[in-house]
Amino acid sequence: MLSIKNLHASVEGEEILKGINLEIKAGEVHAIMGPNGSGKSTLSQVLAGNETFEVTEGEVTLNGENLLEQETEERAREGVFLAFQYPVEIPGVSNLQFLRTAVNAKRKHRGEEELNAAEFMKLAKDVSRQVDLDPSFLKRGVNEGFSGGEKKRNEILQALLLEPKLAILDETDSGLDIDALKVVSDGVNALRSEDRAILMVTHYQRLLNHIVPDYVHVLAGGRIIKSGGRELALELEEKGYGWLGVKDDDASN
Amino acid sequence: MKTAPMLSSAFLHPAGQTLPEPLLALRRERAGRLVDMPLPTRKTENWKYSSRHLKLADDMAISLPVGGKTGHSLAVPGYKVVFVNGVMIPEASEFPDFDGLSIRSFNDLPEEDAGKLADRLGSTLDPKQVQFAHLNGARFEDGLLIQLKPGAVLDQPLFVIHETVGDASGSAYPRVFVDAGANSQMTLVEEYISDGDAPVLVDTVTEFNLADGANLTSIRLNMEGENVQHIGATGVVQQRNSRFESHCVGFGGPLRRHDLQVRLEGEGAETKLNGVVVTQGKQHYDNHTSIDHVAAHCNSEETYRNIAADESHAVFNGRIHIHQDAQQSNADMNNKNLLLSSKAEIDTKPELEIYADDVKCAHGATIGQLDRIALFYLVSRGIGRRQANVLLTMAFINELVEQIPVEAVRETAQTRLNEFFEQTFIEEN
Ligand SMILES: Nc1ncnc2c1ncn2[C@@H]1O[C@H](COP(=O)(O)OP(=O)(O)OP(=O)(O)O)[C@@H](O)[C@H]1O
Ligand SMILES: [Mg+2]
Repeated sequence: MLSIKNLHASVEGEEILKGINLEIKAGEVHAIMGPNGSGKSTLSQVLAGNETFEVTEGEVTLNGENLLEQETEERAREGVFLAFQYPVEIPGVSNLQFLRTAVNAKRKHRGEEELNAAEFMKLAKDVSRQVDLDPSFLKRGVNEGFSGGEKKRNEILQALLLEPKLAILDETDSGLDIDALKVVSDGVNALRSEDRAILMVTHYQRLLNHIVPDYVHVLAGGRIIKSGGRELALELEEKGYGWLGVKDDDASN
Repeated sequence: MKTAPMLSSAFLHPAGQTLPEPLLALRRERAGRLVDMPLPTRKTENWKYSSRHLKLADDMAISLPVGGKTGHSLAVPGYKVVFVNGVMIPEASEFPDFDGLSIRSFNDLPEEDAGKLADRLGSTLDPKQVQFAHLNGARFEDGLLIQLKPGAVLDQPLFVIHETVGDASGSAYPRVFVDAGANSQMTLVEEYISDGDAPVLVDTVTEFNLADGANLTSIRLNMEGENVQHIGATGVVQQRNSRFESHCVGFGGPLRRHDLQVRLEGEGAETKLNGVVVTQGKQHYDNHTSIDHVAAHCNSEETYRNIAADESHAVFNGRIHIHQDAQQSNADMNNKNLLLSSKAEIDTKPELEIYADDVKCAHGATIGQLDRIALFYLVSRGIGRRQANVLLTMAFINELVEQIPVEAVRETAQTRLNEFFEQTFIEEN
């Protein structure tokens, strides 16, 4: 599914990703943990195609296709989905209009019939109930004035509507109360399937009680410095990152 | 020393002589005053950004012929008056049969009514600020007099379609005069459209008089073509507790100029002015608004948005004048601007003159660009770049477009704006 080889990326001349290697197969769930500022969001954004970051070396393929050559919207239509760590507020564009435009862009790409307003409304209402978001949120501006937790649920709502092949969830569990964490993890578990890969960035092992990952990686200083099974998350929770040789200032900035 | 350019005397000869005598007399008098009228230049303060877009060739002085085919317009059922080249076309109109409303062509007025009208034409406008309203006064061939009796509440919006047919060069001088009686209510939609592609000048004047407690909504859609230089003035005078609401939606052209002047003369009057302007290519749009708080306890709220693409240029000049006796005035003016290209230009200027001490007056202006992070968010969901740009651009003005109170007009505006932006972002995939 996803293959990342020796990926280097920099922003404003400063190298953030310093040679990432990662293989994710269909059906697998991988968790990425690591100190603040280690490059987790940068990796997520680079995969989605954010041009703020310049890829200086390495390659990324999705099902054999060169991902880095594709525009952001092509990647999305081919099945890459990124749940943003900080979902963007867009006043003036209704959530409903946004979601429908996105879903129809995807359907068109797949050669499927576009959904009309009524058909889409029904679908959107069903899915918003699934993530425990009142359908009234569909009428508001995209993420406009949503609480932190509501924004995260809106991200999962989009993932469920867009049915990606590769879902990258950047701290979708941060800032959630206990009930919301359950809702969001149920959403993610609903996404789990044989032909889908999930990459989750998280700081908390508690999420991994709900969504059991196949692999856990530690990203520090722009490199994956350790990989293991789910027990690695427990070990990190207990010991922090120090024992892996991560410098204190790396772990705290 | 170089002498200032003058209005060519060719412009001082109206064609038709069909108007009732008092209006003909008025026209002659106005024309007399325009002899040696200097044309605005860069040094004319209220025209400094627009004078270079004014191109009045002599062949544009000719009055465009009366009649001609009427083209596309808002397909609306209901009350509709159609003007072509400034002259009413009764066959194309659907006059309301509504008690309390009188709608007459200037050409149909009895001498006495024409005399009364002649005394009042132009009275809502500040003569020093609207040079071209005088030209309209010297040249109008017809006009629409709308009188709403006290207490009358018009059950449907009245559409006035001003179409300019420019198969050959020339000019047209549409004119509307509205008298809304005490506690009357109506919505007037003015739609400016054009046909043909010869260079033409459209010089318009619309005047609204609101008696005590009158409630009037004005919607102005400017959708003329690339051959039209449009210079329009709207004057509003409001008496006690009256309410005026204006929604202007303007699409750019070689020259678009609109002066909107509101005088709050009676206590407790309220005015709300919304405006949306979009320009692309080398288009130019200049809005000058002016609100005079003459009486105490009045409210004004003004919100204008400009969006300029390519190498186009938009101007907003918002003047608020709070007179000495206008205590407890509340004035709020807001102008936000969006530049879609580094070569586009927007000039915005608030002009506040406050002579009363107990007032609330707020104003703000911003100029910004599309938010790149929002754009990335949209395309990361598979939305095409062009569509994402259109969505974000529409988002900038949706709040105002959604306030247009007549559904058919709102939808037309939305559709046209969408098409306009799709054109703007054509090179994006
Ligand atoms: N647009 C940018 N301009 C400058 N520096 C940036 C930019 N984006 C990220 N960085 C820097 O890159 C480094 C990695 O940031 P990134 O957001 O990837 O960290 P992270 O691992 O996601 O951290 P967190 O756990 O706090 O979310 C940080 O030092 C950050 O300041
Ligand atoms: Mg991050």
